[in-house]
Amino acid sequence: MGRFTLLYRLMLRPLLQRPGRALLILFAIALGDAAVVAIDMAGDAAAGSFRSSMESFTGNNDLEITAAGGVPETIAAQLARLPLDLRLSPRIEDHATIVATGETVPLIGIDLVGEANGEAAQRLDQAGLRDPIQHINDPDAVWVAGALGKAVGEKIDLLINDQTRDYTVRGLVPDTAKLGGDAILMDIRAAQQATGKSGRVDRILIKTPRSGSFDDWQRQIRRALPAGIMLSPQGSATAANRRMLAAFRWNLRVLSYIALLVGAFLIYNAISVSVVRRRADIGAVRALGASRNMVLSAFLLESSLFGLIGSLAALPLGRLLASGAVGMLSTTVNALYVSSTAGALRITTGSVLLALIAGMGVTLASALAPAREASQVPPTEAMARGRREYEVRIERHRDALIALILAVLGAVAAQAPEIAGKPLMGYLAAMLFVGASALLTPLVVHAVTFAGAGLMRRLMGVEALLACRSLGGSLRRTSVLVGALATAIAMMTSVGIMVGSFRQTVLTWMDAQLSGDLYLRPAGALNADQHPTIAPRVAERIASVPGVESVARFRAYEIEYQGLPATLAGVDIDLHRREQSLSFLSGRPPVDVLRELAAGDNALVSEPFANKHHVKAGDTITLPLGETRPTFRILDIFYDYGHEAGYILLARQTMLKYLPNPAPTNLAVFLKPGADLESTRAAVQKAVAGSDLLILSNAVLRREGIRVFDQTFAITYALEAISILVAIGGIAGALLSIVMDRRREFGILRFLGGTGSQIRKLTLVEAGLIGLLANATGLALGFVLSLVLIYVINKQSFGWTIQFHWPVTVLLSSLSLVYVATVLAGIAPARIAVRLNPIEVVHEE
Amino acid sequence: MKSKWIALLLLVPLCAPAQTTYQSAQPGYRYEFPRDHFNHEGYQTEWWYYTGNLSSSDGHRFGFELTFFRQGVSREPSTNPWFVSDLWMAHLALSDLTGQKFYHEERLNRSGPGLAGVDEPSAQIWNGNWQGLIRPGEHDLSAVASSFQINLKLIPAKPPVIHGQNGISQKAEGAGHASHYISLTRLQTSGIITLNGKPYTVDGASWMDHEFFTGSMADTESGWDWLSIQLEDNSELMLYRLRHRDGTLDPYFSGTFIDPQGRATFLPLRDFTMTPAGDNWTSPRTKATYPERWHISIPKLSLDLDVTTPLREQELVATYGPSYWEGSVNISAKRAGAALHGLGYLEMTGYASPGQSVLPR
Repeated sequence: MGRFTLLYRLMLRPLLQRPGRALLILFAIALGDAAVVAIDMAGDAAAGSFRSSMESFTGNNDLEITAAGGVPETIAAQLARLPLDLRLSPRIEDHATIVATGETVPLIGIDLVGEANGEAAQRLDQAGLRDPIQHINDPDAVWVAGALGKAVGEKIDLLINDQTRDYTVRGLVPDTAKLGGDAILMDIRAAQQATGKSGRVDRILIKTPRSGSFDDWQRQIRRALPAGIMLSPQGSATAANRRMLAAFRWNLRVLSYIALLVGAFLIYNAISVSVVRRRADIGAVRALGASRNMVLSAFLLESSLFGLIGSLAALPLGRLLASGAVGMLSTTVNALYVSSTAGALRITTGSVLLALIAGMGVTLASALAPAREASQVPPTEAMARGRREYEVRIERHRDALIALILAVLGAVAAQAPEIAGKPLMGYLAAMLFVGASALLTPLVVHAVTFAGAGLMRRLMGVEALLACRSLGGSLRRTSVLVGALATAIAMMTSVGIMVGSFRQTVLTWMDAQLSGDLYLRPAGALNADQHPTIAPRVAERIASVPGVESVARFRAYEIEYQGLPATLAGVDIDLHRREQSLSFLSGRPPVDVLRELAAGDNALVSEPFANKHHVKAGDTITLPLGETRPTFRILDIFYDYGHEAGYILLARQTMLKYLPNPAPTNLAVFLKPGADLESTRAAVQKAVAGSDLLILSNAVLRREGIRVFDQTFAITYALEAISILVAIGGIAGALLSIVMDRRREFGILRFLGGTGSQIRKLTLVEAGLIGLLANATGLALGFVLSLVLIYVINKQSFGWTIQFHWPVTVLLSSLSLVYVATVLAGIAPARIAVRLNPIEVVHEE
Repeated sequence: MKSKWIALLLLVPLCAPAQTTYQSAQPGYRYEFPRDHFNHEGYQTEWWYYTGNLSSSDGHRFGFELTFFRQGVSREPSTNPWFVSDLWMAHLALSDLTGQKFYHEERLNRSGPGLAGVDEPSAQIWNGNWQGLIRPGEHDLSAVASSFQINLKLIPAKPPVIHGQNGISQKAEGAGHASHYISLTRLQTSGIITLNGKPYTVDGASWMDHEFFTGSMADTESGWDWLSIQLEDNSELMLYRLRHRDGTLDPYFSGTFIDPQGRATFLPLRDFTMTPAGDNWTSPRTKATYPERWHISIPKLSLDLDVTTPLREQELVATYGPSYWEGSVNISAKRAGAALHGLGYLEMTGYASPGQSVLPR
């Protein structure tokens, strides 16, 4: 028998006759794969290619010098006088908000005189800064990227910290200068003045000579630096942020593989069905002399083709989904991690490979078992059906035992600690639970259909009984369907429970945390790593407003601790305040902890910080501050859900000892008992006139907090929606194939007097039963998975303690939605079942 | 004489009402040392410049130049150190006469938090890691460039010379077109030059010029030729001539003769001739053509000198402002018929981009 004939009989003819089935398989592969491609692509654009926006106009340097709270500017002079051939670039790095557009952009201050030296001069030249020295002492001169659409000489209003001023565009920097999108460039003195960072620069970049050993240069430079000043390779802030973002991307990626996993169930189902449908053909070609291997390879070849086409279709589809996801992702990155601008979405060789490997891999893996089954078909058995179903039934107990073992292993894996900072064992636990549930599904379906048949008949009549029996009868097909949908539902439920619990925890936390009546901060953007300052006198002015009892100042600095970003903050401690806004893991009363905090070189750290750096109460941490390297004792760990990088909290007085800049970044205002909120707020507003500050009431701040939270999890919901869509699409197709499979049965029913509406009812009840079973199994599995997510995966990746909470409304509505969708998915197959010509179908085989 | 005008060209737009803020060089200035070795903030432009001819014990010959320029930008008070009151420019050059190679670098800085400046209490003048320590009996120079370093000790053998007449060196017709111009004409020099990682212990003689003034240029002048000469009989000569754009020479050119005892004699225009004598070299980089052989005749001193260079390519190609030629020269002289040898430095400006206004000496 020729290969072509084999291919034609087995593959091409069925394909031409029933293109719908092929399309279904392609749909499952393409959508599942597209979700993976989309997340990868969007993640790359939003976070993967992350380059700190502060790397604008840095040129090609080797080392950088940083210090918490800024590097004393005299360090620049000391280094400049070392007998080493170094090129130094001291920089101010901050943010400015363009008032006209509300856009926040990096603000870079460089020494425009020093940058005119040597190689750097060429960079200035390329950047269009041919004569910057002409405006060297002009505090309003700015150079902007051409992308901002400004002309030379034009004014631009900028909000820097709490002050809006108009600046004059003195030159345009072409994009080729890699200024980094829409950064704004100033001379270092103007930038220092605008940002209030007198005496300090944020970073000194160093280019070492090519000759000699790099380590040697590094050693010589380090020797010249005080203890608190850090010397590291250039862009280590970028590297630190990349490390932090890696965990975020990793979890996101895993979430996207869920969509593919759901797809795999459906591919498996669709191919199994198609194998079953072609048993007669297989028997025929085997009888005509085709070997088992030929049949096996024919089916695998078919699957590879499906995989290939599906994967290729996944690329444009993924690109489309990514364009929706990238906005959500970059919002999350900005709100939770670090200021960044999403890069361009690109279909790279990497994404093509990912699509092909994931798509074809999953297709082939799903097709392997059905293809092997096909090759086992003996020529004589080609016409017989039902043997496989019998096998499933008798192996149920073995499956149940394996399921039990898997579940126990899952429970054990869930106890394991993280591996290399990643909750690998947590994911393994989740996979084991999914596996256990898949193995248990046939048992559940059998039990329910067997036990429920009588009840179904009483409730919904004989059609329901038939539906029940038929589901239990074709157990294998049914349980794959139920398993696929249940897995999708479980994912949805578990993530829903996790997010819902998280949201509730954050709400409760905010109740405790936000004890102030009014909150003030500079009016610019609110990214996790931006800490614009408020003029120090503002706090005093507010304190003297009638009705104000006290003002608490909060000052945050972005620092690097052990290669990861963290936020260092100083707070005013007032032990007499009615409510204290921190709650501690130890459960100690806040007043006790805060009294100790005020007493000396003590610190508090937030829970994510403690988890990330493996520190506990009683440990000490050494921080490079100013020019020194003081050591702080950690008193306690406080709950915090606002900042993933984590906080180190000092008393304000302790912090000022090392970082003397008195400007706060946030103010909390406490009113006297009985003071009217609105009138006091108006008085505060008047007192701070001249500063661009946002004054938020407690309620508004809470709303804003939860809005940021919801925004952050938008991408999660989107991914879930894709999984559900894949599942429902699959259900529709699978029901259709069930109908096609049972044409003869339907025909006989019609001969026996069954009406069209009875057939329709039968089909819809089957769909409904599948939905019900899937919802129940999915909910149970989802609950287990949510525990893994909350207590293992989330805890290990982000370090947040989340209180378990059932988000009843969300769950009920999404489960009903899925249920309705499943039943609706049965409508089209039901129609087809009704329209079948009984004579034709009965005679067909 | 230097390329100080480079700094000026750079800054012309900045310093419009210069005369109201800065003082000009006036006759009768009373010099006082060491004070006058340091900064004169009241004058807009100031420079310190060292050149020298050195050789190692095995006969390897070097010429060097280290120059610090200061240009006043603003005299507004400011508490921020990054505010640009002055711009500091510096040139560093090494002529490897034996190896026939010329190295040079330039540098521009603001005072900043101590990036460049002059500090009298600590006797320092610096621009980054190019620095001089000016103590009464000794000047120490050290500078690091990408392929060489210099570490030199300079001992003045003679007291400072004040050029010109009545404390000012006139550059052009009219009051204010003058500078205060001080030289240390013979500095016994020893130290180490490290070139491409190889250290050379060297000694020889250096020359230091220090000049300060405010806006003394005349816009008809296009460039100048300047010479410092150290003769083996322990006498020195400084000579310069100014060229007009139309090719004529400015009547305000002059020189100074310093006898072995350190007594200076002013040489007005009528006392000497200084003329190019061929050996033209055209720079491949700037296309400027420099006359590299000069003939000088000073009948009053019965002195005839031939100036030639041991290294043709000693042109400083500058990022800011025009480029110029500044290099080591050999002197072969005759005094009253007797042969006399010497070494010196020659500076030729305004050849690379004629027509631009330059600052006369």
